[in-house]
Amino acid sequence: MLYSSQETIKIDFTHRQSAHCESGVCSNLLYHYDLNISEAMAFGMGSGMFFGYLPFIRINRLPLTTYRCEVGGIFKRVAKRLGCRVHWQTFRSPQKAMDALDQQLALGIPVACRTGGYWLPYFPPAFRFHFNMHNLVVVGKEGDDYIISDPVFPDPERCSRSDLLKARFAKGALAPKGTMYYMKAVPQEVDLAPAVRQGIREVCRRMLNTPGPVIGIRGIRYLAGQVRKWPKKLGEQQALLYVGQLIRMQEELGTGGAGFRFMYAAFLQEAAALLETPRLVSLSRTMTEVGDRWRKFAVLGGRLCKGRASADDTYDAMAALLLECADGEAAVYRELLELTR
Amino acid sequence: MTIEEQLKQILVVELNLEDVTPEEIDDDEPIFGGRFDLDSIDALEIVYQVEQNFGVPMKEMNEARAAFQSIKTLAAFIEDRQER
Repeated sequence: MLYSSQETIKIDFTHRQSAHCESGVCSNLLYHYDLNISEAMAFGMGSGMFFGYLPFIRINRLPLTTYRCEVGGIFKRVAKRLGCRVHWQTFRSPQKAMDALDQQLALGIPVACRTGGYWLPYFPPAFRFHFNMHNLVVVGKEGDDYIISDPVFPDPERCSRSDLLKARFAKGALAPKGTMYYMKAVPQEVDLAPAVRQGIREVCRRMLNTPGPVIGIRGIRYLAGQVRKWPKKLGEQQALLYVGQLIRMQEELGTGGAGFRFMYAAFLQEAAALLETPRLVSLSRTMTEVGDRWRKFAVLGGRLCKGRASADDTYDAMAALLLECADGEAAVYRELLELTR
Repeated sequence: MTIEEQLKQILVVELNLEDVTPEEIDDDEPIFGGRFDLDSIDALEIVYQVEQNFGVPMKEMNEARAAFQSIKTLAAFIEDRQER
């Protein structure tokens, strides 16, 4: 249902809070079109799991580490695997980008936007840093304010036109360039099982077989080697900055590296029932244990950064945990490939 | 020792809070955004300590955020999870 007047547009959109913005947007948009898919299912089906340590890409002058796939990838793959038609658009002109948004809202269509986080006024100050991979859904307008279903917040939020414009055209690495996307057609009945199998197999292949040293399981092992060297190679001060960046990217962006592993574990549990493959339940447990190790790794790094490390909280200990994460994940992916043949 | 007292102990000892003793922390005092100047890295340590000391995992950061409002809400969260 759409309530619309000259000043006000309100789309009847169910806002549900999620742990991660893109999989939350995906799940909520599909729900709007009567496809009830959990956030974890969207993340798994969209092959969201990933690891990449990319020292040649710098965020805040420090190396980029990513624990999830490329931005937009989850949504694109879920839509494709379920047979949805999606309109994607980027803009050079901020004015045209806002006009295009308004046009779709006037038609009663919820519109997802990629934004920077810094310019969104409802973000608490502590979380307002320059990060251009945030996703939200615009679900209405009241005067100069847009009504935003931002999945990482408990309730719908408001954002002025000027702030939303700035957020959609935030500058810097991976600038969103006004990106907006919305559903053009969603099938009423879908067979989830093939989409789930495809989603699993893509993650396994990517994590196990991507060439080059910095992606997937090899990337985790490579990072372990780097972490071990950092204090000597960079000096204590710079090494701490690298660790800080690493764990902030792990624990503050999206659900964090451990959080993505927990989400994937939840997905595997759902997939076990869907694919009638009970073995996936125990792989889900293993993935939860891997998530615990990732979290331990971040806790250790946090202690180093905060100057409260014990004698056991060392760079070597962090590297050892990373190698355990790599071994644990590799075993899960190898078996998943077998189970989804 | 009550859960609230243990949590205050964890805050002071594990997070190296300066110029404050466990007894000086109020049950309703905000853990974040108040006088302790804690950030997300500290939140991670608290999540870890809650799991280690009380056997209560906090995998969902949404529920962690809600529980982290004060010592009282965090203690209630732990009690609730322990009873399940």
